[in-house]
Amino acid sequence: MRSARFGALGEKLGEFWSVYKRDRAAVVGLAVFLAILTVAVFADLIAPYNPYERVGRPYERPSWKHLLGTNDIGQDIFSEVIYGTRASLFIGFLAAITGTAIGTIVGLVSGYHGGRLDEVLMRVVDMWLSIPTLLFAVFLVAVIVRTGGIPMFYSVILAIALTSWPPVARLVRSATLSIKERPYIESAVALGASSLRIMLRHILPNVAPIVLVEVVVRTAIAMLTESSLSFLGLGDPTVKSWGTVLHFAMIKNALILGLWWWFLPPGLMIAVTVMSVMMVGRGLEMYFNPRLRRY
Amino acid sequence: MLRYFLLSRLVRMLAVFFVIVLLNFALPRAMPGDPASILVNEYNLPAETVRVLRTLWKLDRPIHEQFVAYIESLFTGQWGYSYKYFPRTVYELVMERLPWTLLLQGTTSLTVSGFGMLLGVLAGWRRGTRTDVSITISAILVYAIPYYWLALMMQYLFGYVLRVLPVAHAVTPGLAHASFLEYVADVLWHLTLPVLAVTLTAYASYTLVTRNSMVDVLEEDFIFVARAKGLPERVIMKHAVRNALLPPLTMLAIRLGQIVGGAVITETVFSYPGIGYLIYESIMYKDYPVLNAAFFILAITVIAANFLADMLYAAVDPRIRYVRRR
Repeated sequence: MRSARFGALGEKLGEFWSVYKRDRAAVVGLAVFLAILTVAVFADLIAPYNPYERVGRPYERPSWKHLLGTNDIGQDIFSEVIYGTRASLFIGFLAAITGTAIGTIVGLVSGYHGGRLDEVLMRVVDMWLSIPTLLFAVFLVAVIVRTGGIPMFYSVILAIALTSWPPVARLVRSATLSIKERPYIESAVALGASSLRIMLRHILPNVAPIVLVEVVVRTAIAMLTESSLSFLGLGDPTVKSWGTVLHFAMIKNALILGLWWWFLPPGLMIAVTVMSVMMVGRGLEMYFNPRLRRY
Repeated sequence: MLRYFLLSRLVRMLAVFFVIVLLNFALPRAMPGDPASILVNEYNLPAETVRVLRTLWKLDRPIHEQFVAYIESLFTGQWGYSYKYFPRTVYELVMERLPWTLLLQGTTSLTVSGFGMLLGVLAGWRRGTRTDVSITISAILVYAIPYYWLALMMQYLFGYVLRVLPVAHAVTPGLAHASFLEYVADVLWHLTLPVLAVTLTAYASYTLVTRNSMVDVLEEDFIFVARAKGLPERVIMKHAVRNALLPPLTMLAIRLGQIVGGAVITETVFSYPGIGYLIYESIMYKDYPVLNAAFFILAITVIAANFLADMLYAAVDPRIRYVRRR
């Protein structure tokens, strides 16, 4: 029994791969992303030094000892960038999951329930969308941190999540609207299934592909938002993400001193990672939405 | 019907405005410790000062009286004093910075959307050709680059290596301008790099949306008929573009706020003396009165910009005025 199920899963994966591999950009994106994920997981094995310790003189140039030189207090920049992978991916992913979860719940309820509630929720979404994302995140971080109780690190994640749910809510709502008109939902209602059960058992599985793609896309966007926040000095100062490294590069005059090995690599890593994640998202979308596969 | 459209948008605008005012009032009061006691913790103020502040802000009065007082001070511009620039009032600071933000953000909104739509129309018109592919791919690549980082790289290249463009401030500090024209030239000179950096990183989404809508429009019947009639390509393009620009214009309406919000990062990177940089400074120095006022002003700007974009949209597409929103 168990092996049969496993076989079905394998078959499904094989089918998925045969479609996915047709998009060359998505395959490259996946490969790059897996490489970056490996770096994040094994950061402490790959990085030659502990990025939180002073291991050299300040402002050293790149050498075999310090591949990307050292920063203003003598920490190894190469190790900072390696560890930054872990922080940036983790924050981005957690914020994306949280934001997508909120958006999915709002979208499901709004779409299935309809009526007044739907009207109110969608107006909230409209309003939320008209507030500039980054400013809103800045504001939320300030508020959440001042409220106390939540550590800085999770405040940032929560703030990003709270700015990212409205588009997800819209997407899930419109999918829910079309799914709930299908006959099997009517049968479920006739059988006396509760609204909660219908939403969770009958609608959620059908919007799951959309949600999955959104998690991936949101991860890319959340990573960009996090890097902007950290760059402004609003991230957790005790955790080194790529944005934090860039923040210190800026305020310690790396530009004027011409220390390109300090401000070039972190930004490059952000760009490459975000791009790979978006390519994976595009590939997934192609798989789930055959209408997009036109070439 | 046009009146109905204008009225519904106006009501929505006022509703958003009211919510923002309410949030600005409620959030600092909802947090543990009132605004006065937060000040005490941050700045080690003596108890005497706190008592004066509490009476001044009517924190000892019931909540509805506080709200009335708050609204009163909000609309009369009595926003208190900045902690960082102490003898100066918040109102003064904000009003001094606002024109610069409007200049920078106004210019970038135009260049970003204009450049983006232009490329999008081009890619859609030449669908499937090498032009299309290279425009689309580069737009996706650009989307992933954090724009403050690109700004840093451009500062490094044009400001420090080539030394051809200024990297900070809105005018040359300490320079006495001989004439008004020279002043304008100096301002534009300082505007170049920020606008270039933002345009190069933000145009992508407009390009992608415009391209897709252009491709859709070109497949419609009326284009087919226009071709069958033997209309010159130029005319066909004109018809197509007018219809294809609707989705990116909607996006502009929604995203205007996003562009304005980008002010914080752009202005910080370029030390540009606008509201965004003021927000950054007030966060760094915990200058809460300034922060509150700056958020308030930016919110108003965003709402006004959205309203303007709605009007623009109605002007471009007459149909929208007759369609009642669900």
